[in-house]
Amino acid sequence: MLGLGRQELMSALCHIFDQDKVRDDQTTLQSHGCDTTKAYTAAPQAVVFPTTTEQVQALVLLANAHQLSLVPSGGRTGLSGGAVASNNEIVVSFDYMNAIGDVNTIDQTVTVQPGAITQLVQQAAEHAGLYYPVDFASSGSSHIGGNIATNAGGIKVIRYGMTRDWVLGLKVVTGTGAILNLNKGLIKNNTGYDFRHLFIGSEGTLGFIVEATLGLTQPPNNLTAVVLGISSMDGIMNVLQTFQNSITLTAFEFFSESGLSLVTQHGLNRPFEAKAPFYVLLEYEQTADADALVMAAFEQCMENAWVVDGVISQNETQLQTLWALRENLSETCAAYTPYKNDISVKVSDVPTFLAEIDAVIAVGYPDFAIVWWGHIGDGNLHLNILKPEHLTKTDFFDACKRVNKDVFDIVERFGGSVSAEHGVGLLKKEYLHHTRSAADIALMHGVKAVFDPQGIMNPGKMLP
Amino acid sequence: MKILVAVKRVIDYNVKVRVKSDQSDVDLSNVKMAMNPFCEIAVEEAVRLKEKGGVDEIIVVSVGEAKSEEQIRSAMALGADRGILVTTDGPASSLTVAKTLKAIVEKEQPGLVIMGKQAIDTDNNQTGQMLSALTGMAQGVFASEITIDGDKLTVIREIDGGLQTLSLKMPAVVTADLRLNEPRYAKLPDIMKAKRKPLDKLTLADLGVEARQTVKAVKVAAPADRKAGIKVADVAALVDKLKNEAKVL
Ligand SMILES: Cc1cc2nc3c(=O)[nH]c(=O)nc-3n(C[C@H](O)[C@H](O)[C@H](O)COP(=O)(O)OP(=O)(O)OC[C@H]3O[C@@H](n4cnc5c(N)ncnc54)[C@H](O)[C@@H]3O)c2cc1C
Repeated sequence: MLGLGRQELMSALCHIFDQDKVRDDQTTLQSHGCDTTKAYTAAPQAVVFPTTTEQVQALVLLANAHQLSLVPSGGRTGLSGGAVASNNEIVVSFDYMNAIGDVNTIDQTVTVQPGAITQLVQQAAEHAGLYYPVDFASSGSSHIGGNIATNAGGIKVIRYGMTRDWVLGLKVVTGTGAILNLNKGLIKNNTGYDFRHLFIGSEGTLGFIVEATLGLTQPPNNLTAVVLGISSMDGIMNVLQTFQNSITLTAFEFFSESGLSLVTQHGLNRPFEAKAPFYVLLEYEQTADADALVMAAFEQCMENAWVVDGVISQNETQLQTLWALRENLSETCAAYTPYKNDISVKVSDVPTFLAEIDAVIAVGYPDFAIVWWGHIGDGNLHLNILKPEHLTKTDFFDACKRVNKDVFDIVERFGGSVSAEHGVGLLKKEYLHHTRSAADIALMHGVKAVFDPQGIMNPGKMLP
Repeated sequence: MKILVAVKRVIDYNVKVRVKSDQSDVDLSNVKMAMNPFCEIAVEEAVRLKEKGGVDEIIVVSVGEAKSEEQIRSAMALGADRGILVTTDGPASSLTVAKTLKAIVEKEQPGLVIMGKQAIDTDNNQTGQMLSALTGMAQGVFASEITIDGDKLTVIREIDGGLQTLSLKMPAVVTADLRLNEPRYAKLPDIMKAKRKPLDKLTLADLGVEARQTVKAVKVAAPADRKAGIKVADVAALVDKLKNEAKVL
């Protein structure tokens, strides 16, 4: 019984879901048919809002029977088009499966439904005296399900790792409708292939994440931020090394002068008057000992002329205002219709890599203004190019396609990644081969065929 | 001219305050402490006045526990020239602090004393006024703008529903309101320099001040937990609840 007419489909969906959880009004189709990438047109045929795992399973079975395409949807803050539905798909939104269980303070875990908002999970942990360390500027909207499906990184990776490092258990509904309980919250479990890790970062192509058990840890104490002006890109790595040799960093972020001048035009104060090509924001847990080590490291950086000036937060308010210099960049830039790229190389390669990209763009596109920022302590750079006023959006994005080619050639030469933390989705699919070999990609198709043989799960995403 | 700035060590403005289980006080163990935000503004204003010229020295003083040295060092990193730490056994009342400041004023003869309008821990808002009364110096409290002109000081202060401009004859006491300025960040090189700036350590006895506790805190209680909100079906249900349950309409 292949294919379903519109009415049959709607009535089949209403049979599985509560009536008000099946929607096909334009507002919902538009809002839930895309993520934060604005390059694609939203055109799903319906949006459903499951409230139970059984409903998800029933939908998967229906999709297999009638060759329907399903797009899992989280907080829709994704930056790669992973949650975009532009081909008559059914969007499966977890907005109503958002329960956060009690924090288990002995196991130091919390079990949540996929629609739980990242920031609310952080707050639940904090309430129990614990800490969920995955954090980024979109955590007020993103879902844990989306974070796991993209293996989200963020601003605390240097100390705490990626989302992958905090997933102790996963419940999933595979593309065949099987319900799997993966790893069940265990810390130690060497019993063969760990499918959990296949689902982390799978971008909805293998199945639905319907529950997750997350690990928690002790909260850091007295976080203190230092912002330094850096005289040259080479200096940044020396600064990183000097500080990492002295103290445990909880963050090491960077941004360019072009970025600082943008956010300061939008209401923030410069940290100090001296201008530098780059700035670093580093964060650590303040104690009298750590302060002394930070001072010594700073003196060493000054003596070597790697650093031109620096400030330190003296209280929580200043910690937040200094972080705003870094965290407001993305939102501020958004107003300039930017081309964005999220790439990574080995930390030690960053200076040469960045210089090569700067040079290629300066030669080929002299009127493009580059704004750099990123999690440089992890080798992760966010390249942003602001649209010059005289170019139309189309002309600009066409030019950026050519930039892409240049950038990804350099990424490949450095053995880097075309997507450090935002995932592949639609945006990076055709460039995947710059990072993954043909053999790699063939095996990825093989894995997909095991969990989703009929290809109902997020078709067209990630895999070229 | 010298400017004297008073600063207080308090619980960080952004820390969620917890009450001790015996309700005797706020729990300060393992809690981030910082300079009182209004005192930070006072320091910043002194530094700006010095940068404009006509100010020879900024002296920063803190009265309280020995660890208040951290806040004095912070103020020196922002631009104060030297510090005076007056240690006390336990928390000092506003009057004790005002008397201590009076003793320092007599010694140092500043043309201007700038302090925060209130400390965010005790919320007393009286030390500046007491100091003015004890010394006979002119007072301009809740300042949102100050300008020095010879031995005159113009203070614009925020009052209910408007602004009031005062002209004071110096020496004077000014207390800083929120909008007086936005404090700068402390620079790391200046923090290093601040470590070498002179700091005098005194006790109340050295200044001949007697600490008298005239007020005793009987009980500290956390605000009642707010009940979780509810969702209503439509406007009619909302109006009904506002009328019949909340009784605000
Ligand atoms: C201002 C801003 C800053 C950001 N900063 C960072 C950053 O620092 N680091 C970082 O890593 N990312 C960052 N992002 C990107 C984004 O927030 C992350 O990729 C996030 O993890 C996406 O979560 P989401 O819930 O919004 O997912 P969505 O965008 O809704 O979906 C992302 C992918 O997950 C799939 N998916 C969603 N839910 C499920 C589920 N239950 N089961 C299976 N698949 C599912 C979707 O199909 C899609 O492929 C940022 C985004 C913005 C807008």
